[in-house]
Amino acid sequence: MGDKTKSTIVKTMIYVFLILVAVIYIAPLLWVLMVSFKTNAEIFSSPFSLPESFYLENYTFAWTAGKLGIATLNSFIVCGVTLVLSMLIGSMAAFAIGRLRFKLAKPCMTFFLLGMMIPVHCVMIPLFTRFAKMGLSNSLTGIIIPYLTFSLPVTIFIMTGFFQSMPNELIESACIDGASIYGIFFKIALPLARTGLFVTGLMTFVANWNELLLAMVFISDDAKKTLPVSLSKFVGPYNTNYSQMFAAIIIAIIPTVIVYCIFSNQIVDGLTAGAVKG
Amino acid sequence: MDKLLRNKKAIIIFLTPALLLFTVVLFVPICQSIYYSFCEYKGLTAPEFIGLENYKNLFKDKSMVFALKNSLFFLIFSCVSQLVMGLFLAALLTNIKKGRNLFKNIIYLPCVLSSTALGLLWMFIFSPKLGINQALEKFGMEGPLWLMDTSGFIILPMWVIAFVALWQYVGQSMMLYMAQISGISTSLYEASYIDGCNRAKSFIHITLPLIKPMVATAMSLNAIGSLKFFDLIFNMTEGGPNHRTEVLATHLYTQGFKYNKYGYASAIGVVLIVLCLLVTGLINKFMKTENYEM
Repeated sequence: MGDKTKSTIVKTMIYVFLILVAVIYIAPLLWVLMVSFKTNAEIFSSPFSLPESFYLENYTFAWTAGKLGIATLNSFIVCGVTLVLSMLIGSMAAFAIGRLRFKLAKPCMTFFLLGMMIPVHCVMIPLFTRFAKMGLSNSLTGIIIPYLTFSLPVTIFIMTGFFQSMPNELIESACIDGASIYGIFFKIALPLARTGLFVTGLMTFVANWNELLLAMVFISDDAKKTLPVSLSKFVGPYNTNYSQMFAAIIIAIIPTVIVYCIFSNQIVDGLTAGAVKG
Repeated sequence: MDKLLRNKKAIIIFLTPALLLFTVVLFVPICQSIYYSFCEYKGLTAPEFIGLENYKNLFKDKSMVFALKNSLFFLIFSCVSQLVMGLFLAALLTNIKKGRNLFKNIIYLPCVLSSTALGLLWMFIFSPKLGINQALEKFGMEGPLWLMDTSGFIILPMWVIAFVALWQYVGQSMMLYMAQISGISTSLYEASYIDGCNRAKSFIHITLPLIKPMVATAMSLNAIGSLKFFDLIFNMTEGGPNHRTEVLATHLYTQGFKYNKYGYASAIGVVLIVLCLLVTGLINKFMKTENYEM
């Protein structure tokens, strides 16, 4: 057997294996999509066939009675505000650590980095009791504050790297032109570090969009729940209506899937770059 | 310019928001949490110092034993399985050209999806009479109770959840390894082929040593991720049956926010923090090596 045939056989085996893997990844998602159009009785009688008719009531139920509409809006507000604030506050701190000259830069960085190793579970109880006293429990602000804080370590770490690698000359010439330190930050440093902003923004958004535990603990009012919390309420031990649950799952993941399909390469590379540096 | 960069007022303005948030939302609560762990505290009355009582109770609590065992199982399983599968997939994908991006993106997809949604999905697939068991029934087989069986040292539901977690997160490890492998210069491989290495040999002698720093990074991420593990378990089993699939995070949630035992739950939180610091410390000590020129 020649080398060439051998390598074709190996290649074919690799592809067969990868296609199998891809099926394991895609099939459950496609199957959810399919059964989300079925009635509950159909799921029990014929779970694997195509739906007899497109039963859209599951979706209207999940959207209105399941409160997924309002939950989606809440998630957008929480993630959007957290995203903007964490990019601003994070890059400000990163700029100070990476570019400004002061003795405590290193200890500051260590302090921020410690935050990466601390799971949110460990601060939940004191935060919860404190926020309850301050009237912040059961409000979106009450989850934005911890989300923001826990997004900062990664943001600061990645942005510091970007600011440090910036060429000195740019800042020098801006200095000579008479720019203030704030002008330098907003007009030169931030625009130059937009790759970093994209990477950190992406990580922040994905993490907070999917966060369940903290949102579940801090928010009990149905009108203020975020998407993962409302979604997890679809299972009860005795009254699970599976077809509605599947419609809810689809509603919850479809925005992410669409955005992912369009920008998959940037997203995967961005998140990987973030993880490598973080 | 130096004067501009040493501007004290600017430094304070740039750092204050972040430092303030960190102190108020992270640093102070951790100290409080440690203090609460030595207290009897149920939320209604002020915390009352009781010394090591909560920690003593941890060892008497059967669900805590399950939680600790399951968390350690997760930790070991996810570190090993993600390393092996992640590396294997990365090696396969770097060896093909056509469709590499497609496969990569498909495998990475669950990493960005809500684990609540995926947890509910798999909960259904592994439910007693539906999903997989419906399919098995068609072939005349009776499937096991995937998420309820309680026999064996590591019970079946834990294996099921561990594999679902592998399915969801292996894309991240794979991408990290791929990023590192594609940074290795092809001249190293060419030289090894001239010296008579085949692909497998050059993988063992060139790729593996050169990606060792990345193994440390990926493993630390896996380790912390698996200790924090909550969403999938909460949505697939809620710690049941009979607390057998409890992990530290779900146990903390149940004790703290279902039974309002804030003091006791804080003690669980302290155990979790200590484990996180210990494991990342160990991984970095044994895995970090000097960076080679590539």
